Amino acid sequence: MIDWFAFPVVAGASLVSSALIVTLYSLGLRLMTSAGRSPTVGPAEFTGAITVLTPKRAAKEARRTRKALAANPLTDGQKRLALVGAYACFALCGGAVLFGVYLIVPALQGG
Amino acid sequence: MPEFTLIVVLVIALALIFDFTNGFHDTANAMATPIATGAMKPKVAVAVAAVLNLVGAFLSTEVAKTISGGMIREGDGGILITPELIFAGLIGAIVWNLMTWLRGLPSSSSHALFGGLIGATIIGAGFQAIDYNVVMSKVILPALIAPLIVGLVAFLSTRLAYAVTRREAGRPDGRGGFRYAQIFSSSLVALAHGTNDAQKTMGVITLTLIASGYQTVGTGPEFWVVAACALAIAVGTYTGGWRIIQTMGRGLTEIKPAQGFAAETSTAATILASSHLGFALSTTQVASGSVIGSGLGRRGSTVRWGMAGQIALGWVLTLPAAGIMGAFAAGLALLGPIGIVLDVIIGSIVVAGIYWWSRSSRVTHHHLLHDIDDAGHVVRITKTPRKPARRDRKKVAL
Repeated sequence: MIDWFAFPVVAGASLVSSALIVTLYSLGLRLMTSAGRSPTVGPAEFTGAITVLTPKRAAKEARRTRKALAANPLTDGQKRLALVGAYACFALCGGAVLFGVYLIVPALQGG
Repeated sequence: MPEFTLIVVLVIALALIFDFTNGFHDTANAMATPIATGAMKPKVAVAVAAVLNLVGAFLSTEVAKTISGGMIREGDGGILITPELIFAGLIGAIVWNLMTWLRGLPSSSSHALFGGLIGATIIGAGFQAIDYNVVMSKVILPALIAPLIVGLVAFLSTRLAYAVTRREAGRPDGRGGFRYAQIFSSSLVALAHGTNDAQKTMGVITLTLIASGYQTVGTGPEFWVVAACALAIAVGTYTGGWRIIQTMGRGLTEIKPAQGFAAETSTAATILASSHLGFALSTTQVASGSVIGSGLGRRGSTVRWGMAGQIALGWVLTLPAAGIMGAFAAGLALLGPIGIVLDVIIGSIVVAGIYWWSRSSRVTHHHLLHDIDDAGHVVRITKTPRKPARRDRKKVAL
């Protein structure tokens, strides 16, 4: 007996969880940027990486980012709100991942 | 732990070696993207992958039960599979795995394992010893459907990630921040790998213990089996990672952080959901499917269907080819102890030969990362998909 129902269940579960996590994290990033805190990842932190910017180019990019962010149409209050929103998104995203792991581990559910 | 016969010990050792090579081979699946996009230092990435594989192996036993309790009919009136046949199946799987590795053919160690086991069982115990319903619903159909599911999920997730972080004119989009997310998403993939792949070996060892009467029919893997398999796959992951770091040069598929994050999240979600339902998936195929899907989610991408076809053909071939190897080894094993010795000798010669061959010819990163890397090349992405308006050109694009 082939359980055909299992396939839509897997598809649905993966789609919902993946979309939720990606959306929450992306939203967090967007709010961070709105709040004027665009995350730039320089080469200093990831020296072992294969594709890195040269330090000079990274500094240039960081400068450009700062400059672009300086002209922020939001008020200070709005910025703060956006930042709180961003952290909330990241927290929800992490929570969603942990909940997903909780769901599949029988030991955590006492069975 | 009761005292085991020599053949049982041999099978357990061989199964653990298979587990080790599985980890060795699959580090790249989880960790190639974060290393390539610069999200993690290679050293750290490999260590994290090893630890999470270890943890993942302890999380669930559904897949192990599929193998030990469902696929092959054993016990109570049915035909008994013997440890000798499992041994033959493992030899077939390992030989096929190494051959494809050497030739750079896309293949799946999981399907090699199933193919070898099924082939050996058919030769040793006849066609009716296999429960085709279980093979169909837990192995073959998931193998066909899961890459499609994950491809679609990765495609939509990539679109979402790009849509939500859409660049406002002249302002940075913050997509570099996806690198931090990749640290977590690739870790999740490593965890998922542990939940699915380590369990295949647990299933084989449990099947052996049941077949030789050390364990009752229908029971799950014992704790020491889980622990041994978890350890073997973790050590394999760690050693394999070092090899990859040493040889990995340029030429890795270009994957943007946002795309990598979306692909990994979909991979992890699909594998974890499947493990939960006892689907014995090929993690390599799922990872490849998601790399292709997320590539398609980027603007200006086209599929190279010829290459996609080649990869698919390699996948389809694995199960029957390993089955033939397993069947051949089982035929020898049926001769009795001499056959087993012959199996060991032939297997060792093939392994030694392949090792020697791989030493003499230069092993490139293609050998180590071929599966996922090939998948990445299936999608062609135009470098500058859209010419920006003159006033936007000088603006930030980090």
